[in-house]
Amino acid sequence: MRKLSANSIPLPLAQQLLEGSLSDPAVLRATSAPADFPILPWANVVKIGGQSVIDRGRAAVYPLMDEIVANLSRHKMILGTGAGTRARHIYSLAIELGLPTGVLTVLGTAVAWQNAQMLHYLLARHGIPFIEPLEFSILPHYLAVSGAVVCQGMPPYKLWEENPAVGRIPPQRTDTGCFLIAEVFGARKMIYVKDEDGLYTADPKKDPKAEFIPRISLGELASLDLKDLIVERAVLDLMSNARHVREIQFVNGLKPGQLTAALDGKPVGTVIYRERTGANHE
Amino acid sequence: MSEGGGHRNHIRSRLMRESLVDKEVIAGTESPVVRILPHLNVIQIGGRIMDRGREALLPLLDEIVENQAHHTQLIAVGAGIRSRHIFAVGLDLGLPTGVLATLSAKDAAQNAYMVSCLLAKHGFVYLEAPFVVQLLPAMLAAARGAVFNAVPPYDLWEHPPKIGRIPPHRTDSGPYMIAEVFGAKRMIFIKDVDGLYTSDPALNGGKAEFIAKISVSDLQARNLTTLPLDPILLDLMLNARSVREVQIINGLHPGNLTRALAGETVGSTIYSD
Repeated sequence: MRKLSANSIPLPLAQQLLEGSLSDPAVLRATSAPADFPILPWANVVKIGGQSVIDRGRAAVYPLMDEIVANLSRHKMILGTGAGTRARHIYSLAIELGLPTGVLTVLGTAVAWQNAQMLHYLLARHGIPFIEPLEFSILPHYLAVSGAVVCQGMPPYKLWEENPAVGRIPPQRTDTGCFLIAEVFGARKMIYVKDEDGLYTADPKKDPKAEFIPRISLGELASLDLKDLIVERAVLDLMSNARHVREIQFVNGLKPGQLTAALDGKPVGTVIYRERTGANHE
Repeated sequence: MSEGGGHRNHIRSRLMRESLVDKEVIAGTESPVVRILPHLNVIQIGGRIMDRGREALLPLLDEIVENQAHHTQLIAVGAGIRSRHIFAVGLDLGLPTGVLATLSAKDAAQNAYMVSCLLAKHGFVYLEAPFVVQLLPAMLAAARGAVFNAVPPYDLWEHPPKIGRIPPHRTDSGPYMIAEVFGAKRMIFIKDVDGLYTSDPALNGGKAEFIAKISVSDLQARNLTTLPLDPILLDLMLNARSVREVQIINGLHPGNLTRALAGETVGSTIYSD
């Protein structure tokens, strides 16, 4: 048997990782010891909603585009796109045809991709490129040169998407994909641009009694057990394990200035934050 | 509509205007799933078998070829010891889980590529993730077999785990997810142990008890510190729509794979209740 000897590797974790089991909690806890290295601590991830922003066309997208351009010299932005109404159409069709969740992810990814392409062409004159998941190693260069990149928001899971506990809709969509970009790069901010001022106790489009929530912790939000939310539930689950992203912010893209205020660190819209508890952040 | 920013242009569909986060909307999307490739057997060769080299691997590959006439076999290969090493280096450097996942995927790709070279004369090719999405049926029709990367293509988008920084979706989760999405007939994990034990038989010898068959919830309730599979696989199985059981067999014993493919009870079975 070919062995890599732990003795030949002068690293504190080498012996546990080479000889231990990766399902052993003691081994896993040990991997928390080295300090985290944030890769792009000055980058901001901005998710542009599909149904909430892009599906509205020019009236919503152009002013937001101008605001993005106005911020280029001050803030580095990774712009991810949502999917929107075409995804809802193809999910309905595919579910009726009996296709599994992983196939729905492949289909939904193409819709987010279309939206990213449109946004990219609108921003192209400012030198902003579109990048595929496999091209993320060039991301730092583009951010340095152009100040922003456009990508589709879906995580690249394709057929490997996890089944949801209930129903057939892929549980990890564009909110999740953008969140994970922010987390892996240790980004400065994760901002979701939607068509509401932020989080409400119910869908404000359907319930006039819905109350606005400006700031809430993950724990408080979980205890409200809301029937509907402004963000995919997977984001909240992942955030409780995140090592870098401590808060996410939701702003109204239909109100000029909100994105800028969020980029400048102001408390506009809704902030969902993580309490400093749990195995990964003691 | 009076709101600013124009109106949302909708396409008429059942999910039109709906929040895909709404619990009732989500519950309304439950319905039977078709099995896309119902004859498929997904087989994972564990990284530890691969790391043993010729002595362990070649008889196993011979057995795969012997079964080619009767069974469609999609082979994934684990990442093995090189991934443990790059995890140690990457963690020491402070790199995040998503980067570790991207690095580890290359170890499993190398192993899968070597296996595909050894099976090439029988028509097996190595398929990267995009080709699994598009070409798998054609490759299986041509050779009744193919080889793919056991690490799922989560790359930088891998989840931060509950404890520590090791990527949770490793080389057991990837093949299972492919079996599930294609509605495969079987998911077989080939390891260098007879199956599931109450503790690591390599460390605990006589005290480790063999578990022939167990449900996912029973197994989770036992809270074993060492499992021969990625723990997250058990969570995935709880949401299974098609592949409700997986089998773990010892690849060092010739004939085990053939028996498992024939539907015989061999090794350990974990089933979703």
